[in-house]
Amino acid sequence: MDLNRFKPMDSTRVLFCVFSILAQILAEQEVENLSGLSTSPDKDIFVVRENGTTCLMAEFAVRIVVPFDVLALNGIDLITEQAQITLPRGAEIQGKCGSTEAELQISWINDAYTFRLFFIKEAHNVSKGQDVFWKINKIQFVYDTKEPSHFINAVNPGKHTASSHHLSALVTPGGRSYECQAQQTLSLISSDHHKGVTISMSEVRIQPFDIKSDFMFSEAYKCITDQREQLEEMLPLILGIILALIIVITLAVYHIHQKMTANQVQLPRDRSQYKNM
Amino acid sequence: MATLIRNKLSNAATSVSNKSQAKVSGMFARMGFQAATDEEGLGFAACDDLDYEHRQAVQMDILKTDDVGVGATGEPMAEGDSHYQRDGTGPPPSASKDDGMCAELASQDRPKITAWEAGWNVTNAIQGMFVLGLPYAILHGGYLGLFLIIFAAVVCCYTGKILIACLYEENEDGQLVRVRDSYVDIANACCSPRFPRLGGVIVNVAQLIELVMTCILYVVVSGNLMYNSFPTLPVSQKSWAIMATAALLPCAFLKNLKAVSKFSLLCTLAHFVINILVIAYCLSRARDWAWDKVKFYIDVKKFPISIGIIVFSYTSQIFLPSLEGNMQKPKEFHCMMNWTHIAACILKGLFALVAYLTWADATKEVITDNLPSTIRAVVNIFLVAKALLSYPLPFFAAVEVFEKSIFQQGDRSILPNCYGEGGRLKSWGLSLRCALVVFTLLMAIYVPHFALLMGLTGSLTGAGLCFLLPSLFHLKLLWRKLLWHHVFFDVAIFVIGGICSISGFIHSMEGLIEAYKYNIND
Repeated sequence: MDLNRFKPMDSTRVLFCVFSILAQILAEQEVENLSGLSTSPDKDIFVVRENGTTCLMAEFAVRIVVPFDVLALNGIDLITEQAQITLPRGAEIQGKCGSTEAELQISWINDAYTFRLFFIKEAHNVSKGQDVFWKINKIQFVYDTKEPSHFINAVNPGKHTASSHHLSALVTPGGRSYECQAQQTLSLISSDHHKGVTISMSEVRIQPFDIKSDFMFSEAYKCITDQREQLEEMLPLILGIILALIIVITLAVYHIHQKMTANQVQLPRDRSQYKNM
Repeated sequence: MATLIRNKLSNAATSVSNKSQAKVSGMFARMGFQAATDEEGLGFAACDDLDYEHRQAVQMDILKTDDVGVGATGEPMAEGDSHYQRDGTGPPPSASKDDGMCAELASQDRPKITAWEAGWNVTNAIQGMFVLGLPYAILHGGYLGLFLIIFAAVVCCYTGKILIACLYEENEDGQLVRVRDSYVDIANACCSPRFPRLGGVIVNVAQLIELVMTCILYVVVSGNLMYNSFPTLPVSQKSWAIMATAALLPCAFLKNLKAVSKFSLLCTLAHFVINILVIAYCLSRARDWAWDKVKFYIDVKKFPISIGIIVFSYTSQIFLPSLEGNMQKPKEFHCMMNWTHIAACILKGLFALVAYLTWADATKEVITDNLPSTIRAVVNIFLVAKALLSYPLPFFAAVEVFEKSIFQQGDRSILPNCYGEGGRLKSWGLSLRCALVVFTLLMAIYVPHFALLMGLTGSLTGAGLCFLLPSLFHLKLLWRKLLWHHVFFDVAIFVIGGICSISGFIHSMEGLIEAYKYNIND
């Protein structure tokens, strides 16, 4: 129970009690958008609750780069422009939880954009027994090039879907949440002339299965880049301490050596110099 | 009495021929005895006898390891010196070193270096890491850059020689005697009537800043190079800098210039290997050389930085007084300066030209970025070795400046001497040296944009110590003996040095402000 880390979660408990009282429709699922509680302006927190408890929690900052065609000045050629899309606050969240499969769906601007993440839990037989882990096996992004705020003067405006192929990302051991502060990039292929859509996720903290208590992430599993960065940051400290020890030992040895050999040096005091003064 | 003795000692510490001294004393003795009818004449002769005896004895003491000293006293004396017969053995060499007087003797008791070793040290100072930025300077400067490389070598050789000339003064016999021992002494002598210590303090501070910044730069460079050579390892630049400092810790045990000269020799060898590698690679691509791309005009915006790189890479004047003082035969100093500067000039010019011709417009700021990765890895390793081997010289010089200015004031010292009996380093002197090494490490890790900061201080202290101050001191101290063309050269160097310094300062400030803003916006 890591209370120190989740100070906002205390206040959200209160907030949710209020929410649940105010909720008119007792839906099987409640989805909450807690983006106001996020620590950084780009990061959003998405929670899917089921039967009065949280079943899927996700927290990340995402940036999607979508290429689209516009007409050139000569009216004939097509130029490829790129649109940078980020998740706004107040997006609609829907989700499905299951024992081996989960889905998170975020849509905004009246379903002009929809971002879906599909999670799957698997078990492999290894020599020690069963190895359980979960991962993202599919990402889908639906966008409408008619939408004017990101797509300016798009040719053949319409809805397109970008999906992943054979994706296996964010592989995490079972019962733990995935954490990665570094940026990760995933590529999707769009139905619009097979253009490549790039999704960059950073400051990720996701747990789609086995959430033990309300709004509490389980133990975090850090991605490799984060582990390397942690090692990189610890290494100077360790080396500095070793260097300080070496210096202290060298000085002590030298001091002792001086004291030991000082008694052996009997320098004759030469008084013959005085006659010249 | 002690100050009198000290003055006599500093006079006697050079290898002045005993014969001329004997001649002087003999002359006085003759005069004294010709007027010997009164007691006073006898008294003067007796005083001179004691003085000469004392000087002989002290010289015997100092030059006891030198054959010259022993041989000279064994020489037959000139005529008229029959009163100054000495047997072959002088007074037994004194081994006791008390504070104060013995501080001077301790520094003079160190083994002398040959002219070759002095040459390695000077080469270490003038052929530094900045040679990698020279092809970029040629990119923006064309033929003017090449000319500047040669011109800067000539100017720096000249300022080095006039700086050493300030150490000497003519005595009554017309012989040049070494009256001053260091840069600080020259500065004090120049300001002596009104501010006897101000010049020394300024020069001390400038020297310390320059030397410590050079040390820090070597740590930064070695950390940076190692980091760029092994990007896949999880070792950051800070960790590499700490490891480099651990390798440099034995520098705290350096006692004399002979040991430093060995490191400088290895450093020069590493530098030659780097030059040969790069030049050989460039020669292998000699067919593609772009001779027509060497420009006659200069790029006004980018060239001033290159001027700084070219001009301030020849700065060795800080080390020259102590180098010359420790040479066995100081007469070879001029020859050594000439040859080291000619060699540096030729090597740098060749390197810059050949590297530029190979890559022409694609030449990068540091030429190793242009090399293919295998050669780059090898060159990087040698560069790291060169950086680590170059560290002892400025470190030793900084330690000497520190110890002389703070810890060896003789009667006036507040803090105890760093050297104990027998000239051995006391353990607290060792801890101070270790503290200096750790200080360079901390500055290397925590100061951002170090190269720009170094450019800033270099344009002030480097230009000051290498161009402005030597010409100023030379004019002030030796005004009466200078010929007109010397005066002209000195004034011209002062003006040019001032211009370079100001332009370097302005560009470094601009660069620092821009880097600071970029960091803040990031």
